[in-house]
Amino acid sequence: MIKMGLFCGLMAVIYAVFFIVPPAQGLGNFVRIAFFHIPVAWVSVLAFLLSAYWATQYLRKREMKYDWKSAASARLGFLFCVLATISGAVFAKLTWGVYWNWDPRQISIFILLLIYGAYMTLRSAIEEEEQKAKISAVYSLLSFVTVPFLIFIIPRFYFSLHPEPIINHLGRVDMDNVMLYVLLLTLGVCTALFWGLLSSSVSNVQKRHLANPIHSNDKDKVKI
Amino acid sequence: MPVHKLPLREAVWLVFSKDLLCEFRNRYAISALIMFALVTLSSISMTIGAVMLSDELTAVLLWIIIFFCAMAGLSRAFVQEQEAGTLFTLQIYLQSQAVIFGKMLFNIVLLMGLTVFIILLFILFLNVDFSLWKIFFVILVCGDIGIGAVATLTAAMVARAQGQHCLFTVLTFPILLPQFLGAIHATATVLGGNMPSVSQFIFMAGYDAVIISGSYILFEYLWYD
Repeated sequence: MIKMGLFCGLMAVIYAVFFIVPPAQGLGNFVRIAFFHIPVAWVSVLAFLLSAYWATQYLRKREMKYDWKSAASARLGFLFCVLATISGAVFAKLTWGVYWNWDPRQISIFILLLIYGAYMTLRSAIEEEEQKAKISAVYSLLSFVTVPFLIFIIPRFYFSLHPEPIINHLGRVDMDNVMLYVLLLTLGVCTALFWGLLSSSVSNVQKRHLANPIHSNDKDKVKI
Repeated sequence: MPVHKLPLREAVWLVFSKDLLCEFRNRYAISALIMFALVTLSSISMTIGAVMLSDELTAVLLWIIIFFCAMAGLSRAFVQEQEAGTLFTLQIYLQSQAVIFGKMLFNIVLLMGLTVFIILLFILFLNVDFSLWKIFFVILVCGDIGIGAVATLTAAMVARAQGQHCLFTVLTFPILLPQFLGAIHATATVLGGNMPSVSQFIFMAGYDAVIISGSYILFEYLWYD
């Protein structure tokens, strides 16, 4: 049921991006890539925030489900981050002429990529489950505190080729209405996709955990 | 067994002086750091010959050498305790804040000593001009505090993992990158003879404050099971 809804949403979004959105001023038809790039970039940051939130919950309550959610969010976030980086690089090549020029937003997404990579390396280096959960939760939170410095401060201090944020410094939305609505639609669908993948990933981990004979009595303890 | 509750300042000093004493006894970290810095800088200087490096390149070189020396030498804070089996003793006798601040202080002092050595080498090999040396010193202190603080916390994380050394660098680099970039930018400005803007200093000092308070809170979770 939900999968049908997701599929329909995805089809609607693809149709809207290719047939409803008009070519942009200056960018022309290239603007359609932005409807992919912006949602995946948004989701990769969202995944990071959620991962940090569930890491806090784990450290407070010490229930394994929070660790599973945190890790699944980080894995998916990594995937979306890679997609955002690649789509951004392609977009950059088409509009600015080079794939990569260390523009501040590119620096930020690159650092996010490194943080995700480091998080996954850390998880694979620790074997004992509770230690793994605890230490990766701490790392998730530590990297979370450095993120404000990246996202808000670096772009403000360094000149950027990136377009102005959608809600610009005057507080008004500066985009054509049709494009805005389609963008919001793609954001919604992408977030729903992320959420669906996250839920299925976490329930897979739960199933594997319970399938292990050692944990067969944990049914109540590991309810998601 | 009664746990002696030392006041925080004394406990921090205890951890710091213990690490300092151990370091003087076997001089492992110091010698590794000094040799690393010497080898890196001399090989670069040898190969570029008489070519003058631009300000940006000099700043980048300086911070890369400091960073990689830190990665080579600072993980010992906790890894060595783990290997020697003294981690448990620390857990019994001292509160977590004392341990983290003591170790952090030790790492920062070690790094500052190394930085002074590297600066001397820079003056020797690359003939760098330090007319604004007071500002430069402030930048160095901010940067070193940042590197030391992050390195101490990640050393604590890595102490119980496998593949510790490589993991240590991988974990520290993304977290340190904002401070790293800020420090390089400020240093390049200073080497050019200009004063960096106040926002640069606020950025670096703010980062240090955030990391130190974050470490203070998070270390307890790492320390106690």
